[in-house]
Order: sequence, then structure tokens, then C-alpha cells
Amino acid sequence: MPETVTVRVQRQDQRGGRPYTQEFRLPYKPRMNVISVLQDIACEPRTASGEDTTPVAWDCACLEEVCGACSMVINGKVRQACTALVDNLLKEQPVIDLRPMTKFPVIRDLVVDRSRMFEALKQVKAWIPVDTYGDVGEGPMIAPEQADSRYPKSRCMTCGCCLEVCPQVNEHSDFIGPQAIAQAVLFNEHPTGAMTAATRLEALMGPGGISDCGNSQNCVKACPKEVPLTEAIAIAGRATTWHAIKRWFTK
Amino acid sequence: MSGVQPGLLERNHFLLRRLHSLSGVIPIGAFLINHLLANSLTPTPAAFNEEVEWIHGLPYLVFIEFGMIFLPLAFHAGYGVVIAMQAKHNVQAYGYADNYRFTLQRVSGWIAAVFIVVHLLHFRFAGLVGGTSYPDVVHDGATPYGAAYAGFQSFLPLALWMIIYAIGIVASVYHFANGMCTFCITWGITVGNRSRRAVSIAMTGLALVLLFFGFRGLYGMSSNFEAGQTDSHGLPADLAEHRGDLGHDTRPGEQG
Ligand code: HEM
Ligand code: FES
Repeated sequence: MPETVTVRVQRQDQRGGRPYTQEFRLPYKPRMNVISVLQDIACEPRTASGEDTTPVAWDCACLEEVCGACSMVINGKVRQACTALVDNLLKEQPVIDLRPMTKFPVIRDLVVDRSRMFEALKQVKAWIPVDTYGDVGEGPMIAPEQADSRYPKSRCMTCGCCLEVCPQVNEHSDFIGPQAIAQAVLFNEHPTGAMTAATRLEALMGPGGISDCGNSQNCVKACPKEVPLTEAIAIAGRATTWHAIKRWFTK
Repeated sequence: MSGVQPGLLERNHFLLRRLHSLSGVIPIGAFLINHLLANSLTPTPAAFNEEVEWIHGLPYLVFIEFGMIFLPLAFHAGYGVVIAMQAKHNVQAYGYADNYRFTLQRVSGWIAAVFIVVHLLHFRFAGLVGGTSYPDVVHDGATPYGAAYAGFQSFLPLALWMIIYAIGIVASVYHFANGMCTFCITWGITVGNRSRRAVSIAMTGLALVLLFFGFRGLYGMSSNFEAGQTDSHGLPADLAEHRGDLGHDTRPGEQG
């Protein structure tokens, strides 16, 4: 069992600021995870070379891998800090490496601005429209098979891992990313949501939409919630194609 | 709403991407299969000549050639370069097999683009670089085999041509076979994991067959298989070769 844990953190003081690296050395405790490491740094923010510094900023909420707030690039791979156990990380490499995700603007240190994913949900109208003035009665029933097929997609926690690993999401492209596509499919597969499926498909057909996927299939492998992203992309690919053909012949 | 109208390209973005995907399979992929199949016959020059003459006898060949091959290929390659430049590769951090395939799809596209230009200048449009274009050689009476063989004897040493063509064939076949797999995702044909794996296996098989065709075709260019044979018109093939003149530093073929 090691006496200490060495952590290298990529830091940034504000939006648009210049990133820099600091190293910290902390007493090892059994069953540490990256969040507890960051808490220990915050208790006594001093670098390994003994300089006092500011505490490292990070984001987290649920601490059980359901909220998606704590995603960061740990030892070179994007994952949730709350479930990244130090014992496992030390098996990967001797110095733990923490960086913010690269596909989102950094707010400070390891905190990034994930708004683009929430904007994307608005763009594809990833909800069921039920706001009406009058009582429209009960909605249609959902078949158990349909519920089973929708459930895995509903586990998405907007953590950003799929965008982080996607080679098509970057500063040269406006690809919306796998997350919003899967959510559009989730709501198109809902019997009430299906009534407004066309608007979601249309939202996926512009520049940066479904057709900008390059089928690297990294998303589905990186997703911590095992959302079937490639499957959703294929479903959306077929649906948008049919929609385009129908629209062309009926207009 | 601002008054700015989205441009023609933005409005037709989805259509353009779908056409890019489709054009890779039909007509370009279909042409690639036919092209390698025909070329695989070069070790039997008579069969090769017959096949090529059949193709040359197709009606409206110019329209087929330009409308079904050059135009779609120019579009696919041109737009393919635009798409390829958008990707930010990350196989170092995320070394999944499919991620390598994605990167190789772009790399093989670049190689195919360069190779196809070289290949067109080598044969179809050799006139542009001081040679005689392949159709003109054949028109002047060379057998297709003789013309192709002469092409491999000119400009560069044979060994170098073999290497260039081997690279071009491997890149094009990989690009097509892997492209078929991604095509099936793009169009929502292989939705589930199992069907994706099945298509990958089937396309690996297709790729092996196409590689065999391609390399057999190259083997047919490695020495003059027509020497001493008769062509499909019953004329001695080495005579037929002299009827064609590539007009550049053609080395004399081995006389049979
Ligand atoms: C030998 C001739 C070629 C054939 C048979 C061919 C075939 C294909 C096929 C079948 C696809 C899959 C489409 C899809 O995933 O939906 C594809 C994709 C692609 N091709 Fe080609 N292609 C050829 C030449 C080229 C060239 C010269 C380039 C230029 C760089 C190129 C660039 C691309 C790119 C970037 C993609 C990926 C598109 C995407 O993921 O959206 N291809 N090609
Ligand atoms: S804190 Fe919620 S996923 Fe890590």
C-alpha cells in the first residue's frame, strides 16, 4: 500500500484562461476516489513542491454516477470522478492525471460548461408536449416491449462522455453529438412523443445533425450508462431518410 | 428570426451527406467490384481482352463513364475530403477497433484520392502527361492487354508501379468494405450489434475476394502473358502489341 498519492491536475483560472499544470502529493487513504482526492486537496491546497495555491475547482452532485456532473479526463480517458477509484487508477499509471473535458468550455479547473448538450436537447425537442389548455384525456398505453426498448436510452445523464470521445465533435464541426440524437429517438419512441416525431427528425436534418455522424462508434463504448447510442443513431438515420423521402414526394 | 437565408449547401446538407454515402456504394463501389473483377483476368489475356471489349462495346459509353463514374467519384472524393478534414482523430486515447477503422476510413480515402488521380493519368488520360491515353491505344489496334501491359512498362520501373498499385488496391478495397459497414449504420440497416458484426464479417470476406482479384490483376502485369498467344481476333498477340503505340518510352515487350 502506497504512503502517498501523487496527482497531476490541469488547471485554468477562468474561461478562456491559459491552462497550467500543478502536482499534489497527499497521504494515501484506503478506498479513495477522485472526488475524495479533490476534497483532500481543497482541505490543504499546497502543491507537491510546497507552494500554497487555490483549491482545485470541480463539479459533482450525486456521487453515485447518475447525475453526470463530475465527468473529467482521468488518466487520459473520460469518466466520472465519483466512481474513479484511486486504487484502480494507480494500477493504470503511477501519477494520477486529471484534466477537464476537452469538448466543452472550461469554467475553472475541472469544471466545464456543458450547456451545449442542454441546448441540443432543446433543439431536438427532447420532451413530450403535454401543455394544452383543455383536458385531452389519457395518453396512449405504452407496450412493455416499447418501455423496455426506451429504458436504456432514458438512462442518459448528459455527462458528456460521448461527445468527449467523438472524433466528429470538435471545433471544425458543429455536430450535435450522440447524446441529443439518442434523446430524440427516446421521445420519438414514446406513443405521445411519436405524434410530434417529425419535428424532432427535422431538427436532426440540418448541418451538424444526424448526417454528421462518422460511425466511429466510440460513443457507445465510452457511455458509462450503457446507452445504446449507435443503435439510436442507426434508428434516427433510417427515420430521417424515410422522412426526407416522404417529405419530398408529398410536398 | 434574422433575415439571413441559409445557403444552398446548408439547406441541402442532409441530401448531400446521404448522396455522399450512397455514391460510395452505387455507383462507385459497384464500379470498383466490376473493375477489379475484370482486371483479375489479366493472367489470361484472351479472357481479359474479351471482357474489356465487351465493356467498350456498351452503348453510350461516354455517358456511362462520365455520369456513372467520373462525376460521382469527383463528388464523393471532393466532399469526402471536406468530411475527412472535419474529424479529430483520437485513437491514441481511445484505441477501440472501430475507432481505428474510422481513422483508417479517412486515411484510405486520402490514399485512394491520390492513387485514383495517378491511375487516371497513367491510363485513361495519359495524353495529358505526354503519353497516349489507353482508349486511343486500343482504338489504334492494340489489344487491351497489350495496352495495359505497355502502360506498366512506361514512365516508371515495373516494380514501382506494382508497389503503387498494391497500395492503391489495398486502400480502395479497405475503404469500400469498411464503408459498406458504416453505410449500413448510416442508413439504419444494421441497427443492432449482432447485425453489425455479421455485416463486418461478410465485408471482410468481400474484401478478401476483391484483394485476390486486384492482386491477380497485378500478377497479370508482372510479365507479358500475351507473348506468343493469339488475341480474341485470332491474331498473334505480340503483333497486336505492335499495332498499339503508347507514344512514350515504351520498352519493347518480351517477344514470344
Ligand atoms: C475507390 C473509390 C471509393 C469508394 C468505392 C468509396 C466508398 C465509400 C463508401 C461505401 C463509404 C461509406 C459511406 C457511409 O459510411 O455512409 C465511404 C465513405 C467515405 N469516403 Fe469514400 N469511397 C471512395 C473514394 C473516396 C475518396 C477518394 C475519398 C477522399 C478522401 C473518400 C472519402 C470518404 C469519407 C471521408 C467517407 C466517410 C463519410 C462519413 O463518414 O460520413 N472516399 N466511401
Ligand atoms: S457526481 Fe454524479 S455522476 Fe459523479
